[in-house]
Amino acid sequence: MPRQASPLIAFAAVAGLCLSAPAFAQVDAAAAENLFKDNDCHKCHHETKSKKGPSLKKIAAKYKEKKLDEKEAIKHMTSGKKVKLDDGTEEDHKVIDTKDVKVQMNVAKWMLAR
Amino acid sequence: MTKRTMILGMSMLAFGSAMAADPATINWSKVPAKKLTLYYPGQSSYEWLISDAHKGASKETKRGDSCVSCHDASDEEVRQGRKILKGGHPLEPIALEGKNGHVDLNVQAAYDDKNAYLRFQWKTNSKDRGGIDYPGYRYDGKEWKSYGAQRLHPNAVAGKTPTVYEDRMSIMLDDGKVPGFAKQGCWLTCHDGERTMPKEATKEEVAANALLTSIKKADVRKYLPATRSDPSDWKTGKSVEEIAKIKAEGGFLDLIQWRAHRTNIVGGVDDGYVLEWRNFDQGKNHFASNMDKDTKQPKFMYDAAKFGAKAMTADDFIGKKETFLVKSGNAVPFDPNAGWKEGDILPQYYLSAADAAGSAADNKGTGVWKDGMWTVVIVRPLGLSNDDDKALKPGGVYNVGFAVHDDQMTARGHQVSYVKTLGIGAKTKADIKAVKLP
Repeated sequence: MPRQASPLIAFAAVAGLCLSAPAFAQVDAAAAENLFKDNDCHKCHHETKSKKGPSLKKIAAKYKEKKLDEKEAIKHMTSGKKVKLDDGTEEDHKVIDTKDVKVQMNVAKWMLAR
Repeated sequence: MTKRTMILGMSMLAFGSAMAADPATINWSKVPAKKLTLYYPGQSSYEWLISDAHKGASKETKRGDSCVSCHDASDEEVRQGRKILKGGHPLEPIALEGKNGHVDLNVQAAYDDKNAYLRFQWKTNSKDRGGIDYPGYRYDGKEWKSYGAQRLHPNAVAGKTPTVYEDRMSIMLDDGKVPGFAKQGCWLTCHDGERTMPKEATKEEVAANALLTSIKKADVRKYLPATRSDPSDWKTGKSVEEIAKIKAEGGFLDLIQWRAHRTNIVGGVDDGYVLEWRNFDQGKNHFASNMDKDTKQPKFMYDAAKFGAKAMTADDFIGKKETFLVKSGNAVPFDPNAGWKEGDILPQYYLSAADAAGSAADNKGTGVWKDGMWTVVIVRPLGLSNDDDKALKPGGVYNVGFAVHDDQMTARGHQVSYVKTLGIGAKTKADIKAVKLP
């Protein structure tokens, strides 16, 4: 006889969906990934593994730990400031090719949701 | 392509590979297929690769990092090709309307005791006809002059001559002896100064160059960095003796090219190599120039009884007829007194399976264009021992780069792959695994 989900678990799942749906809807993942790749960000930042730059997962964890938000991420991707690489050298970080704040915010949210 | 030419091609192939599998009877449905994506690289020369223009990557490419250490997205080739051809990109100075940024290439490989068999399938940008045409010589009432040019040629771009060129399927092959090829592939051979590339060498520059004059070349073509004192300057060629030493040590790439006009009809496939230049192997190709250097007149014309006329006209030059000129087929010796009229056109090359000889004639193959797709089978003998060949052996794994020329283009007008590996019955990992035929 199949086991039935307890009412508590079912409630929690529905509540979770209700709570996360609006936040999730704010990110257009396909558009964000498209912009990320069109700007060649993926050449240095992989989803999970370290390349020339840290992985998206590592970036998201760092932002979470330091309680930094999307605005800080946007600053990072639009200011072209120097970044320190693993080999000790420094390089100008690429500036993302859009000035549209909504688009920048979408990418930042998508990145930090990894 | 007519039934007649298909039969001719297949029979030449079967004849050339007697005692081995007839490629026409191989059951390819039993051979695993690998789908590769090739993309349009524009003018991304080796010099661009290691320059600051290759943003954020010059240091890495200079130290020899692999292209795919950065370019590893699943849709990488599609994106790169689209980006370069979108218009206004620094790597493509010509607006190439309708040019496809990428090509999906299906690759299958098999082998027996004698040969390796490589089968390729790709859809051409043209849906009406495979690129089987080639520039010709046109009689202007006094002289025979080159007529028609590939799409990237300045005269074709300016509309001064018809756009025409043959389709091609090319393979560069390394047995691990070419430094850097396993990581950076074909880009090692593509340089500023070459035809259609930035800073294309002038005739005067070539004439003043010690290496190119000593090897009797009139332009700059693919070369390996090891053949130059400064790897990114074609002018700094090493001595012929130093280059011969690199060749003797195996530091060259095999270059196998199937050509829709100049080799297909006679069942041939080029056998060449890249070292200080893009060379053909010793011997004789399946095609030869139809221009007599001394008389400045063509060597062969059409047999009117077989072709329907002794020459083409502009009306049937491109896309109307099969214009192959085959020695001992539809060609007869050129008759200067045949009443030539302005506008008569003859092919720039005549083709001959019987004339092909030596190391240059090692490879065979044939292709059929149907419903917008080429299906090409290339036959490469195993264990070649010529000093200009890479010997394929069972158990071996080779670094390979693939290129497709399509859309009336040559030189940079191709789609290319990142470097892949080809295993001939090897137990180790390979991107493309050749299976042993029963």
